[in-house]
Amino acid sequence: MTTTVEKPESPQTGSGAPTVASRIRDWAQQRPDSVVMREKDYGVWQEKSWSQLWDEILTASHGLLALGVDARDVVSIHSEDRPEWVILDIAAVAIRAITTGLYPTNPTAEVEYLVNDSGAKVHLAEDQEQVDKVLEVDRSRFPNLKTILYVEPRGVGSYDDDRLMFWNDFMELGRRHRVEHPGAVEARMAEAEATDVMTLVYTSGTTGPPKGAMLTNANAEYCMEHLINADDRLAGNEKPTPDDQILTYLPLCHVAERIFSTWTLASNGTVLNFAESIETVQHNLAEIQPTLFFAVPRIWEKIHATVVIKLSDATWAKRQVGKVCMKMASAIGKARVASGGRHTLASRLLYAIGNPLYFRALKERIGLRRCRWAASGAAPIAPEVLEFFMGLGIPVYELYGMTENAAVATCNFDGRVKLGTVGEPYPGIGFRIDEETGEVQTKHPGVFVGYWNKPEKTAETFTEDGWLKTGDVAEWVDGTHVKIVDRMKDIIIGSGGKNISPSEIENSLKTSPFIKEAMIVGDRRKFITALIGIELDTVGDWATRRGIPYTTYRDLSEKPEVIELVQGIINQTNDKFSRVEGIKKFRMIPKELDHEDGELTATQKLKRSAMTDMFGDLVESMY
Amino acid sequence: MRGRPNLYVSYEAEQSLLPTWTQRIAATLVVLVLVLIPLGGGLEVGESSFRPLGFLADADWLKILTQVGIFAVAALGLNILTGVAGQVSLGHAFFMAIGAYTAAVLGGEVGAEGFFGPRWGMGLPIWIWLPAAGIIAALIGMLVAPTAVRVRGLYLAFVTLGLVFIGEWAYRTFVSITGGSQSGREFPGFEIRLWKEETPLLDLTRDGPSWLVVNWVDWLLGPWINFPDEMSEEAKTFLFVLILAVVFVVLAKNLQRTRIGRSFMAIRDRDIAAEIMGVGDAKAKLQAFAISSFYAGVAGALFAAFVGRLIPESFNLFLSVQVLAMILIGGAGTVAGTLLGSSFVILLPRLVRDFSSWLTETVEEGSGVLAWVGDFFVSTGQDDWGLVSTASGLTPGLSVAQLNAVLYGALIIVFLIFEPLGLYGIWIRIRNYWKGWPFTY
Repeated sequence: MTTTVEKPESPQTGSGAPTVASRIRDWAQQRPDSVVMREKDYGVWQEKSWSQLWDEILTASHGLLALGVDARDVVSIHSEDRPEWVILDIAAVAIRAITTGLYPTNPTAEVEYLVNDSGAKVHLAEDQEQVDKVLEVDRSRFPNLKTILYVEPRGVGSYDDDRLMFWNDFMELGRRHRVEHPGAVEARMAEAEATDVMTLVYTSGTTGPPKGAMLTNANAEYCMEHLINADDRLAGNEKPTPDDQILTYLPLCHVAERIFSTWTLASNGTVLNFAESIETVQHNLAEIQPTLFFAVPRIWEKIHATVVIKLSDATWAKRQVGKVCMKMASAIGKARVASGGRHTLASRLLYAIGNPLYFRALKERIGLRRCRWAASGAAPIAPEVLEFFMGLGIPVYELYGMTENAAVATCNFDGRVKLGTVGEPYPGIGFRIDEETGEVQTKHPGVFVGYWNKPEKTAETFTEDGWLKTGDVAEWVDGTHVKIVDRMKDIIIGSGGKNISPSEIENSLKTSPFIKEAMIVGDRRKFITALIGIELDTVGDWATRRGIPYTTYRDLSEKPEVIELVQGIINQTNDKFSRVEGIKKFRMIPKELDHEDGELTATQKLKRSAMTDMFGDLVESMY
Repeated sequence: MRGRPNLYVSYEAEQSLLPTWTQRIAATLVVLVLVLIPLGGGLEVGESSFRPLGFLADADWLKILTQVGIFAVAALGLNILTGVAGQVSLGHAFFMAIGAYTAAVLGGEVGAEGFFGPRWGMGLPIWIWLPAAGIIAALIGMLVAPTAVRVRGLYLAFVTLGLVFIGEWAYRTFVSITGGSQSGREFPGFEIRLWKEETPLLDLTRDGPSWLVVNWVDWLLGPWINFPDEMSEEAKTFLFVLILAVVFVVLAKNLQRTRIGRSFMAIRDRDIAAEIMGVGDAKAKLQAFAISSFYAGVAGALFAAFVGRLIPESFNLFLSVQVLAMILIGGAGTVAGTLLGSSFVILLPRLVRDFSSWLTETVEEGSGVLAWVGDFFVSTGQDDWGLVSTASGLTPGLSVAQLNAVLYGALIIVFLIFEPLGLYGIWIRIRNYWKGWPFTY
């Protein structure tokens, strides 16, 4: 795992600016036979080499040319993570077209909006489910859409729509075009400009319809240089290498997964392993044992909950050993938190005993034994969870960024970790916290060029002196680290006039394995209340063990025993906060929240406005 | 990729016989130790003489180990039929007899006279009679197979039980083959000839110079290790059987990952469901009986050749039950379990005998706590109550042979009730305990 491979030099032929496509081409020339992708299919991880990957990308590029896709045309992709996602993405960039991704959970109405807003000419719909979402809408309402590609033919074969095209036929089209027009794609690549828009990343839109943030080749290059290859990001100031394994499982249309899989692959040649689905992530993790692992807090909380539950379910002897070893882990965690993530002599000694006996096996079970860099981002995470993983020897670095600045903002660097903060700004970038509003603002070449077809929204996002307004309120900690307070519009002004950050309280609640969702209410109210959603698996298990019968999620939520359980967790949380921040009352959310019903965004964030509409009477019943 | 045992990038890797280095090293060590046992009489490493597991090189222990090897082959065969394909058979002794008598006819002395008149013998070499023993048994097995398509479970057990009794009648009737009831006949020995020449190429039935191979290894390792120049009859036979057993173990293990082996398991788990999925019921059962009988035939021939002279009553129901016990105690359906089971069943009587006599000696010497405790178990004279008696004459308690029978029965009951996966199941549970560490599931 220490092999260092020279980063391929960006080509300077013609005006061809470096793009993700040109970087992948260079890797393919340098390491044609090395494995770059694995996808689990028919029970085994099928491998793909760099030369195969590049060959397929070229063919797909030719296919897009054959379909009449021109520079600045948009290709939309509506699929789970799979090699075709990456191939089509890079293929579009190679011919100077623009890629945009849709979340697999996007319902029909959103698909219609996103395809039309981006003006996509070619749309990839993974399977019958996604194809249906397009076909349900009358074709006259998709003025630009010419072709719908599909990868999984099952169920689609009988559809009669001249826009449909099977992936293999598309590749065949590309192969023929490649024979007839050799060098057409290479010619396009040579014309690439740094200012070309390469992708539209739609922001999840907790308010209003999603907006497509335009990221250019230059933005991507800046991100690769300053984020992916930032000094001291990985322990020992190492950089990602072709030996590094990445598990791709978060939606690739999100900027974070794009950076940590596709762009890291393009810039540092790491290997991508596609998880079968979001449900199998924990299983796939154990198989792949990735070396670099980025996850959202929800995943970290889930892994944490799994460990806690499984340890308490272990047989007697294992449980006793577990108690002792987890005490050691928590001591190590505390010591490392106190010293910026570094080991102290005492923690190193404890770790030297605990690791071979216990932590190593535990990490192997959860798939993080070989993990040399793990990170959490995209939403705030509770410090307790980070401390837990640090104690096991998996330092999880919290970082912060947003689509509009190509995620280049702040990061906890190795050895300088401060829990509860999102770390320090990357060296050399323009970063400031507005003194009046406390808003984080950035200005650097990674900042996007604007929202697609929405100049007035773009203008709103920038200050008069050209800084990007992130909409997040933050404060400095010790003058070096940044602590995000909350989204500007979410901050609650409590009865005493004190500013309260709801997400901090919510995350503290969510560290309990029993609580999946929490929403704090209290803006301009007399006191703070909460809506609580339980985690069906763990609470169900808890209830079964106590012989409490239940039928549905709602039934389980409303059991007096469960309410008592939640009350206990809330009391514990209240102890951690000041009196005004204490939760006085709570109600149980009677259903599991999801994207389709509009309570969550595609990235599983709470849509507060929708929640208030939906459960308004529940909220009112508490006041 | 290294260090990721659950990451399979090809079916070959997922299905490999020895997927991890630990398993590869362990298997190599086991074979190495087994090979070194008969050579252990006097290995010279440098200046010092070295006896790995020295006592096992004694003639009587080598004989027991050889028997383990032969019965392992027989049990592997029954395991394929009963453990893998799920067809309960009590007729294994019958197929072993077929093998033994095929060997006797093909390899036996020409024109030998017996108690009941002349006995057939064609004097053919071992490379003909040993495979032929398997093939003829397999053919007979294929004749029986169709009944298994008709009847299942207990009924099949009874049908195959019938074979043993048909066999008993046949052994008494065809005296020119079997030598007749209570009389028996000689079987060809382990003499390797090209054809019918006078002096065999290799004679395993006599003490004498080491084998060619051993000599070659000796020459290769000459400067460091000295193998004995002379080898006993038992050592040679043991090595010969060991080689055959290893071959059959590899074949049996490999069978389980082939299309045929998987069809066996499908039939075992649910024959109707298997047929719906395109696994031919009749075909799979035919193959299972054929392969299983082939193993039985070879094992029968080896057993007969090893013992030298057998009466037909040796191939009775008890032999069938004994082989069945091996796979049940070891763990039905697994090769490792079958090997454990056959070792256990063959070694048990010897261990019980040695233990009883050691205990008796201790008690008779009569000192220490051990003697005091042992006295409760061993009866040393007419007035001394005990569970086991090694003294001669009318003493209370069981004789060693009786104790063996009791233990044997008790073990089968205990295993069937408490550990249906056998000795191998115990191992699996230990392994899973640590595999899941620190979780339980």
